[in-house]
Amino acid sequence: MLPEIGHFSLLISLVFSVCLAIFPLIGAQKKIVEFVALAKPLVYANFTLLSVAFFCLSWAFYHNDFSVTYVAMNSNSDLPWYYRLSAVWGAHEGSLLLWVWILSLWTAGVAFFSSSLDDDDVARVLAVMGFIAIGFLAFVIFTSNPFERTFPMFPIDGRDLNPLLQDVGLIIHPPMLYMGYVGFSVAFAFAVAALIGGKLDATWARWSRPWTLSAWGFLTAGITLGSWWAYYELGWGGWWFWDPVENASFMPWLAGTALIHSLAVTEKRGAFKSWTVLLAISAFSLSLLGTFLVRSGILVSVHAFASDPTRGLFILVYLLIVIGGALTLYAWRADKVVSTHRYKLFSREVLLFVNNVLLVAALVVVLLGTLLPLVHKEIGLGSISIGAPFFDSVSSIWFIPFIIALSIGPFVRWKQDRFSRIKTKLFVGAVPAAIVAITCYLMLQINTFFSLLGVVLATWLAALVVYELITSGKKNPLPLSHWGMSLGHLGFAALVIGIAITKVASVDKSVRISPGQSVTVNNYEFKFTAVEQFEGPNYSAYHALFDVSNGSDSFSLKAEKRYYKMHSNVMTEAGIDPGLWRDIYISLGEQLDGDAWAVTANVKPFVRWIWLGGVLMVLGSIMCILDKRYRKILSWRAQRQPSEAGPVESVSANKVIEQKVKFE
Amino acid sequence: MKNYKLLIPIVAFLLVSIFLYKGLYSDPTNIENANLAKPFPEFQLADLMDENRLYSKADLLGEYTLINVWGTWCVTCRVELPFMTQLRQQGVKIVGVYYDNAAEAAFGELDVRQTRREVTEMLAQLGNPFQFNIYDEKRDLSLDLGVTGAPESFLIDDKGTIIAHRRGAIDHRVWQNEFAPLLPNNHGSNLSEQQK
Repeated sequence: MLPEIGHFSLLISLVFSVCLAIFPLIGAQKKIVEFVALAKPLVYANFTLLSVAFFCLSWAFYHNDFSVTYVAMNSNSDLPWYYRLSAVWGAHEGSLLLWVWILSLWTAGVAFFSSSLDDDDVARVLAVMGFIAIGFLAFVIFTSNPFERTFPMFPIDGRDLNPLLQDVGLIIHPPMLYMGYVGFSVAFAFAVAALIGGKLDATWARWSRPWTLSAWGFLTAGITLGSWWAYYELGWGGWWFWDPVENASFMPWLAGTALIHSLAVTEKRGAFKSWTVLLAISAFSLSLLGTFLVRSGILVSVHAFASDPTRGLFILVYLLIVIGGALTLYAWRADKVVSTHRYKLFSREVLLFVNNVLLVAALVVVLLGTLLPLVHKEIGLGSISIGAPFFDSVSSIWFIPFIIALSIGPFVRWKQDRFSRIKTKLFVGAVPAAIVAITCYLMLQINTFFSLLGVVLATWLAALVVYELITSGKKNPLPLSHWGMSLGHLGFAALVIGIAITKVASVDKSVRISPGQSVTVNNYEFKFTAVEQFEGPNYSAYHALFDVSNGSDSFSLKAEKRYYKMHSNVMTEAGIDPGLWRDIYISLGEQLDGDAWAVTANVKPFVRWIWLGGVLMVLGSIMCILDKRYRKILSWRAQRQPSEAGPVESVSANKVIEQKVKFE
Repeated sequence: MKNYKLLIPIVAFLLVSIFLYKGLYSDPTNIENANLAKPFPEFQLADLMDENRLYSKADLLGEYTLINVWGTWCVTCRVELPFMTQLRQQGVKIVGVYYDNAAEAAFGELDVRQTRREVTEMLAQLGNPFQFNIYDEKRDLSLDLGVTGAPESFLIDDKGTIIAHRRGAIDHRVWQNEFAPLLPNNHGSNLSEQQK
């Protein structure tokens, strides 16, 4: 019964979404108050309906209802309850349901926190989001219904969840990623609504900033989790593979990073208006493109999802309507935008513009690298695979100008500044950078030019961020968003240091080893003590036990190899001793003849800094959102100004200070 | 509309869409082949793991051999390795041609030892289908074979004639349809489907 209720909720929600996309929009254009007033009730109803649908599917998983095909294909009664619940988004149908549910969540959020906005503007934004929902709901209902039954014959037990996905990291990775992907729909909706309404001033930028920041924070968290998961679960110690599916999440991240910076310029200075609109459209379009690439099976990838041309065609048509429509609207309306704001060559505007150009350049490279195999094939040149070396070599040049612009940016004033004013400050960072560089060279034997340069520039950046915090914090207490920005930049520095060091200084050894023997890697002695058999709930496993020591430090590690019965699939669980300065990582390979095993032992210095960087960036985005200037924007109590003046004129306290600075 | 710059995004997007559409309906691995029925090119190259051990075309003759062009940098190859390993266990002779992508990409010298480490590690993880690996350092052999990327596979008969060529990964289905029927004793035809 419950699955039918879930299915029925989806159908009603589709009807409501169609209404949401049509009536409020007409109402806003023709000034029909009744139509405009429909928007919020429809949004809340949609959210309730989709929550019901999501609950019904979760219930079916929790209670092992194998009469539902999707449950039978992706769950098993042996599976622990938390994996049964996360199995809801373990495959195609359920993850799309999660996608639309999250979209309804964001839409409801916008409806709830927008009382101080003009009703017509909110109605347009919600209508755009309703339009987005139509496509995905139709996709779920007509091509990928998760509630389909297996009647009349249903299996006694399910096929089990893909063992790769039976992991804590994978319980939260997809929802985080989707929160990010779908969260960009808010900025998209604001931009498109502004284009439709013809109000391309800085207002829409101010309203969409907190939303964009939170979406970006979720996406960063999702990508970081995914990287961490790949590191310990895939068993080859890598943390980023430039795989098409990873690129699909990285592209919206790059566009989103450019967007949060460009939004700042548009909001504060009224510049880059048309560019910001384009970025807002791009960030969400790339999220949709990513969904298409992953769900259509068009690219060969280690993530290898089912390939189905009908589903792919459906998403492609949807992309054409949504992205094509938005870009056409952009081409038609954006030429009315005039940025009157003027700035000099050496100003914060220009440095932020450099940041944007570099981010977009990186985005284009990743996009080309991901799509080129496809294009190459279609113009008759045959299939190719573009690998990590290509991306690695491009990004190792890219980060140099990026990090320089990033370090200088916060010191430079808006509109115009003199280099002589800031140049002494820049030397402050040089001392720690030099010390760190020499330490790295001597202690870690890092002798590659690009790695050393990476460490030096990142240390320089970090030192300048701290210096900037101290000096500007002296004059007056800093707003939370300032702390957030600095934390985000520190996160980037940590990320660069982590990558630069771990890429060069990691040492690994693949050996054939029997219990009792030992192997030495980089001063660490790995002694293989024993192999034990172990029975998990739905798998059986070998545990290989190691004693690791380097004189001062000793501990034991357990590397694991699991055999999942239902999928007849073998998985490795690496044994990891984590540390801020180095990870010790052991993965168990094949069982060889006799009692010998193939084992890979790794010492990976600074690898944890990569995820530390991600975590800092996420914390930074949270601090920015919590800043009090947004509390007014995101108020749910109606404090409406007369609608003639509108929120356009409502100037926050920060803004007043900035304008004073501007006219000094 | 005066500002034609604003049309760039939509035009670029439409161009990409055309490729996305075509990509949906094309078998990712289908190619017309100029190589079929031609003799395998002559070569003289070292073993990937041991630069003193040289191979030539004569080492490939005498039985049906599957030549697989691959590299550790190639994502698709990772997917292919476990299945190829099953093939080897079924008695198919598989020889790797290692295509190093690092020569163009890296800034410094080509580091063979690093490559060897990566190869050993990957084969230990995913299975080793290869009897031996030829190190195509200067990519001469790959050029002669018309390789456009990795993975690519060539099936040659006992006299060294190319009888099948595939760009992209070989999986169970491909092997059954395109390769197994060409082998004299139909190796690998009873492999179970375990790809998922």
